[in-house]
Amino acid sequence: MSALATDIPVVARSGWTRTQWAGAGLLALILGFAILAPMLFPADPLRQNLRNILGTGDAASPLGYDHLGRLLTARLAAALRLSVLISAAAVVTSAILGVAVGVLAAWRGGWVDRLFALLADSFLALPGLLMVLIISAIVPTTPLAFWIGLTLVLWIEYFRLTRATVRRLIAAPGVQASRLLGFGPVYIFRRHLWPELAPMLLTVAAFGAATAIMMIAALGFVSVGMRPPTPELGLMMVELLPYYREAPHALVAPVIATFLTLLGLNLIAGGRRA
Amino acid sequence: MIRALGYRAVQAVMVALLVGVLTFLMMQALPGDMAFRIAAGRYGYDAVNAQAAEAVRQELGLDQPAINAFGAWFMDLLRLDFGTSVISGAPVIDEIRHQLGASLQLAGAALALSLLIGPPVGVLAGLRAGGGLDRGLLLVSTALRSVPQFLMGLILIVLVSIHLGWLPAAGYGKPAHFILPALTLALGLAAVSARITRDAMAGVAASPFYAFGRWKGLSEPQLFRRHGLRNIGVALVTFLGLQFAMLVEGVVVIEAIFGWPGIGHALVHAIFGRDVPMVQGTALLLGLGFVVLNALVDLAAHWIDPRGNTEVRT
Amino acid sequence: MLSKLLASAAMAAVLSSAAFANDGVIDVVAPFEIKGADPVTSGNIYIKMDIAEPLVNADAEGRLMPGLATEWRVSEDGRTWRFYLREGVLFHDGSAFTAEAAANALKIARAKPGLLETAPITGIEADGTDLVIRLSAPFAPLPAFLSEYRSLIYAPSAYGADGSVTTVIGTGAYHVTRLDAPLRLEAEAFGGYWGPAPAINRVSYQAVGRAETRALLAESGDADYVFNLDPASVARLKSVENVDILSVSVPRSLLIKVNGAHPALTDVAARRALSLAIDRQGLAQAILRYPAGADQILPPSIGDWHSDAVTPLTYDPEAARALLAGLGWRAGPDGVLTRNGDRFSLTLTTYPDRPELPLSAAVLQQMFAEIGVEVVIDSTNSSEVAVRHADGSLDIALFARNFALVPDPIGTFLTDYAPTGDWGAMNWNNPEFNALIAALARGEGGQPARNRAIEILQADLPVIPVAWYQQTAAVSTGITGAVIDPYERTIGLRQIRWAQ
Repeated sequence: MSALATDIPVVARSGWTRTQWAGAGLLALILGFAILAPMLFPADPLRQNLRNILGTGDAASPLGYDHLGRLLTARLAAALRLSVLISAAAVVTSAILGVAVGVLAAWRGGWVDRLFALLADSFLALPGLLMVLIISAIVPTTPLAFWIGLTLVLWIEYFRLTRATVRRLIAAPGVQASRLLGFGPVYIFRRHLWPELAPMLLTVAAFGAATAIMMIAALGFVSVGMRPPTPELGLMMVELLPYYREAPHALVAPVIATFLTLLGLNLIAGGRRA
Repeated sequence: MIRALGYRAVQAVMVALLVGVLTFLMMQALPGDMAFRIAAGRYGYDAVNAQAAEAVRQELGLDQPAINAFGAWFMDLLRLDFGTSVISGAPVIDEIRHQLGASLQLAGAALALSLLIGPPVGVLAGLRAGGGLDRGLLLVSTALRSVPQFLMGLILIVLVSIHLGWLPAAGYGKPAHFILPALTLALGLAAVSARITRDAMAGVAASPFYAFGRWKGLSEPQLFRRHGLRNIGVALVTFLGLQFAMLVEGVVVIEAIFGWPGIGHALVHAIFGRDVPMVQGTALLLGLGFVVLNALVDLAAHWIDPRGNTEVRT
Repeated sequence: MLSKLLASAAMAAVLSSAAFANDGVIDVVAPFEIKGADPVTSGNIYIKMDIAEPLVNADAEGRLMPGLATEWRVSEDGRTWRFYLREGVLFHDGSAFTAEAAANALKIARAKPGLLETAPITGIEADGTDLVIRLSAPFAPLPAFLSEYRSLIYAPSAYGADGSVTTVIGTGAYHVTRLDAPLRLEAEAFGGYWGPAPAINRVSYQAVGRAETRALLAESGDADYVFNLDPASVARLKSVENVDILSVSVPRSLLIKVNGAHPALTDVAARRALSLAIDRQGLAQAILRYPAGADQILPPSIGDWHSDAVTPLTYDPEAARALLAGLGWRAGPDGVLTRNGDRFSLTLTTYPDRPELPLSAAVLQQMFAEIGVEVVIDSTNSSEVAVRHADGSLDIALFARNFALVPDPIGTFLTDYAPTGDWGAMNWNNPEFNALIAALARGEGGQPARNRAIEILQADLPVIPVAWYQQTAAVSTGITGAVIDPYERTIGLRQIRWAQ
């Protein structure tokens, strides 16, 4: 563990590396497409037109049509919005949960600390996909199941990171001084802990979002995630796979979109090294 | 060391409780009539009807309150009895044993393959941090991590099986069937382990004792054996422990695509057939496997680097 | 490093491809998982792989043929059936096939859920070398019921004390050498088989749940016979050189089940309107990818149960709107019809086990929207159709119903339509129809009764037929003699040879 932690130089938190900017750019491009497509090419992503089956791009849908003559542009944009929305929601809730519990554990120490650490380790022992699958059997609406399941998977990383960092910081002179001066926990968190935590959390968040998007797509692809006819990246791929000879353009669209989204997130997460 | 192992024991109990509570909730929240669900799983959509469901209800005693079932399950667990699958009627432990073998073979092959690819590349890149290979590795590993495993599997099938005709696209039973699914899993794992090795190696190579060794006149291979190996060993072994969870996740999806009869396949079916004993058994086994593996990792890390503080990694 | 890896992979490939191009084994791939040794759960696999046999067989037209029984007779009063059994038949464990063994197997099968359970059987016993079955009422389709895969005959040693099936010990041309439930099975020719020995000694069965993977296996040449292809892959595989596509119309229909007690659907005119709103050819062409819109409940290939006399169901949304207007429905502000403040809104229950169902549901949703009927799709577990039938909460359901679980569709009509059934009519009761079906079950009435029954279904629409299925299989050009059977009983394994 030590080898992992020590050699990551704490890059000046003021600036992003070029790699990170590239990742952010890619992500912005994808998000831009997801948000703007419905305005530029307004259409119902569920609307079928049996005349346009597997058609190539035209003015209404530059990306072409799928096997039911639905507009791929609209479907891809809807699928991206869905994946991004679920993963963003999961990242935010898991971050809040993980940081809150992490600070609490490190701050209080003793049995509270040990209990939460044990809990986090036990959650870690269950593979994430398993967790999401079980939750999806409990919660009937699939996006909600994904949100809860992914939150339960992702919070651990925030917790471990926060706990380790806060533990170190609490012992540091700055925090000790603030405490002696009678500042409350909120002040100490904002003044001392958050600035240290924030850049690290960004990495975890980007990785977490990538994990979430991948998991939603993977479960969709093996037909246990979102249900048709909902546009979803993994589902779109599995639906269009049989047509890969007839209409390669149709299959390529969700594949490229998924790859670019994940690449953008991975560049942001991994680009922090010197 | 003893303390660390004691902690793992407590963790194991905690995992069992967690699985118990989650599956209990699952039973509670089951949308729909359990007997009908199980009947559909057993007899298929052509034959599920009210009579079949009633027969299932009688056979399994589904009228009992769920809390009794939870208690019974936990008591059975203490006696190492996992119960029987409601779909196949066979003992859960037999079903799992059968399917776990296939999964472990696949996971083992994938892990071995990833170790052949990842760490060697990582070491070479780390020795010349910032060099061409290092940059190349960063690029390739980031790109590989951005390809979901199911997509990688698909690309490999279309490329290797269909266009080149070299390997069977899917299936089970012959050695050739191993290569594609194992390679799919291994590429993802290698992308990460190469980065970890590279970071550890770069750290070691930049350290004063490495420079001192070089100054002493040790050749690069000698230097690596004396100082490099041990240091990256700890990082790698620790990482391997964590990789288990990743591997299991990959296995669930990869098995579905390649028609591999393993535990992931069993789990997906159990969840959709509402085969609660099977879900409990599989989830528990996977969780406990992770805990045992981490206990072994603790031991291994201690053995490689006895100086290291064996305090529980949390 | 990468080149080394590729080289080793390539080498393994060379070594193995020699082994699987023609490895002396016929590899069969199908979606059905092996759920165990029991014929009740997995007999459909053992019958296709020629591992176990029933007393009565059926040919590709559904005509009954001798199986383990060479002949059968029914008594004057129609209540006693006598089956004359084949002599010199051995089970795979070497024991002889006897009337006692047959009686034992059928008694155990009858105690488990299945069609046999619904037949009015009072006794099954051995009488010398014959098998005698006694009934409480005449029941003409009994031999057809015995031809079903759940009535396969296993040796007594295959069963545990409690009737559970421990191993597969049949009388078929192949015997199981390795059973890796749920996905794989290997079998070899059985030396003691009573019939002509099969041409190819070794066969394997692999269950592959994903249609895409099955198609890829056919495309790459790994499998010799791939059963049940998705429509999209069929189009693709037709252009692949080493694969032939077999297809046949099967007695399976895509149907919309209608709750006859739903306030909006009690009137037969409303059901007709829904039927008129469906562009069957368009749907079949787009989703199933073959022209098989169903203008009545069963396709022409099921000669007895297809009537040329009835008026075909047609597509006419204008007429549909007129019918609904006649019932007092008026378009609301959002285009959905309303009547006395009630919206014409229905929940359609379906299940994703067959991938075409949710897609068809989505197409139907649009077609119904054209006539102002709102449909909410609930794609859930298949058992929900049965559950909602039982508690009356179902509006409409979309499913694929197999009418030939036994080769004679009468069995299915009896359980589903006389008067209702989980996978047939709901809150519908037509005394004339019930009487016709009861008579047919007794062996009376003949073709006129069948034609009249179909006419009633066509007029009353307790279910709305949408499409007729075709079964497709991909067969490697490396073998000859493979067949596709509309009743899904055989793939012609015993006749298959390597192509020259």
